[in-house]
Amino acid sequence: MTEKVLQLVLNGLMAGAVLAVPAIGLSTIFAVLRFVNFAVAGHMAIGAFAGYLLNTAFGLPASVAVAGAFFGAAAIGVAADHVTLRRLRSYSALTLAIASIALNVMVESALRFVFGGAPRNYAIPLRRDWVLGSLQVGPQQVESAVIAVVAMSLLFVFLAITTTGKAMRAVADNPTLADSKGIDPERMARIAVGIGMGLAGIGGMLVGLDTSIDPLVGFRAILSVFAAAVVGGLGSIPGAVVGGLVIGLAEELSLLVMPATYKSAIGFLAILVILTFKPSGLLGARAT
Amino acid sequence: MPKSLRTNLSRRAALAGAGTLVAAPFVLGTRGFAQATGPIRIAGLVSLTGGGSPFGPNMRAAHQAVVDEVNAAGGILGQKIEYLAEDDQTNPEAGVRATRKLIDVDKVSAIMSVWASSVGSAVLPLCWENKVMMLGICAADSIAALPHQGYFVRTQPHTELQGAQFAKFAIAQNAKHFYVMMPQTPFTESTMKGIKDTCEPKGIKVSTLVYDAKKTSFRSELDEMKRANPDVLMMGGYQPDNIVVAKDLFRTGYTGKVVGFAYGVTPQFIDGAGKEAAENIYSIEPVPAAGSSAFDRLKKLLKRDTLDTYVCQAYDHTNLAILAMAKAGAASGTAIRDTIRKISNNDAGFKVDNALDGIKAIKDGKEIKYTGASGPCKFSDIGNILEVTFRFNQVKDGKIVEAKI
Repeated sequence: MTEKVLQLVLNGLMAGAVLAVPAIGLSTIFAVLRFVNFAVAGHMAIGAFAGYLLNTAFGLPASVAVAGAFFGAAAIGVAADHVTLRRLRSYSALTLAIASIALNVMVESALRFVFGGAPRNYAIPLRRDWVLGSLQVGPQQVESAVIAVVAMSLLFVFLAITTTGKAMRAVADNPTLADSKGIDPERMARIAVGIGMGLAGIGGMLVGLDTSIDPLVGFRAILSVFAAAVVGGLGSIPGAVVGGLVIGLAEELSLLVMPATYKSAIGFLAILVILTFKPSGLLGARAT
Repeated sequence: MPKSLRTNLSRRAALAGAGTLVAAPFVLGTRGFAQATGPIRIAGLVSLTGGGSPFGPNMRAAHQAVVDEVNAAGGILGQKIEYLAEDDQTNPEAGVRATRKLIDVDKVSAIMSVWASSVGSAVLPLCWENKVMMLGICAADSIAALPHQGYFVRTQPHTELQGAQFAKFAIAQNAKHFYVMMPQTPFTESTMKGIKDTCEPKGIKVSTLVYDAKKTSFRSELDEMKRANPDVLMMGGYQPDNIVVAKDLFRTGYTGKVVGFAYGVTPQFIDGAGKEAAENIYSIEPVPAAGSSAFDRLKKLLKRDTLDTYVCQAYDHTNLAILAMAKAGAASGTAIRDTIRKISNNDAGFKVDNALDGIKAIKDGKEIKYTGASGPCKFSDIGNILEVTFRFNQVKDGKIVEAKI
């Protein structure tokens, strides 16, 4: 029994680390723009396909192609935001969230038009798991977790030491005060969308490395991503990391007490519990 | 006031109008008298997008080809037949919308070749309520158990029958422990029942696990399976989840035999999972009547060298619907329901393999027996196909080839 629990914890941590990356993207956009951008799902798919092109057409390894996933999703994310959601900034958060669902459908449809709906595989050989005593872990899982940790670390450094990062945090903390200090809110919005969608792109590629990719690769993960962001506290970047790990662990450990067919219910359950008892999330500063 | 609320009045008015339009058929009632008068219309409710999209376009082509050749010969009952096709998107909600259009607007007599069980379950009540015949593929046992009043037959073997084939595979492999992994579907329970009913009397232990196909990883589910140490595993999902399962099976070093449904072990599956992960995986599929006169005729009609079972079934659905109307002398769904077994189950009848020959024989006053490209096309009282042949396949060197079991 102990071995089973340890294996589930290990699987949960690996899944949670991957989940945390797009959850941070969602939270970053929320922190600055104050709405839940569901187009994160489509941008996960864009990142997965950008990495796929670099990997299969140019032979780049996953660790390098993942940079393409970030920049590809970030560039398209900023462009799509500029054309669609930017015009709706003054509307309510609900309007923007609904518009982001429409944008997501457009993004996924465009990907299906270009790449088709059939599943695709990265040109990366499958490797057998490493066996650590009674535990097993895949080399790809470990690599994906490392990439996730590196991406998260770079974001924390960016926010902690760069002027732009500090300005973003200022806008997230108090947009009115930041505006009075001369910080351009529209520029901060573009940067937040770029970083958020770029991280979503990395997340999409990491999911694809472990499974396969198609235009719905992000859509299948969005409930868990959203749950991770809510559990951690929407707008809190450390919270998204914690939320990702909590959801990853909860989904895997749920197998101890309930059938696997109800795994998706864990995300809903987590959102329900958090919104009932701590609406601001585990590390969120304010209820929103 | 936020901008989003400024136009509330006009939006409310628009919503009320739209809601009235949507609700009108339900309020006024559309219970049916489809096809009471007017042209003869039959429809294909096929999957042109979604999980069934590899098969839907060919099925539509088979429907159209049969209707075209019957119309070229003068039609039936003194009229040409109109064929309509709708995309169910392999999605019950879209399937219901398309069916409502076919029944309420187009007044069709028959809806043919519904592929997915989830769609079939959703649209069959609309068919029987409106006295429209449904000739389906959807295999879930629960569909035939619905109170469909006879307005349903299917050419795909029902899932309990398919489950028994998986059990036969396990028996042939001398399995000690057969582990069955399937996503939650309308046919999961009946497939598992078919396997247990056949395996357990033979002393084969059967374990089952129903997973959530919407998740992106099944590592923990496969760990659970590996701890049980089965020698045969049924990978009973659709293509997307099978890809994830096959990859993880390879990574975890599972060495037992693996078998799945043929619709989940396709060339696209091999591309997605990779040749290494897909190698040696078996699949089971109901096979069309390859070599039969109807099969060869359909190949010529569609100008194709190979035919999958679904396109053969679509061909049979069209021939059966047309011949039933010709035999009944009426073009309604009820006429098809009341007559279809007279032209499909009558072994003493004059053998025909296409609608043209059948129509001619009926005009000559003969009783007929239609034998199709998918098989003999004989139906039980609740609409299940009675005689089916299965084939075992295996992935070898990245190709799907027939396997001797």
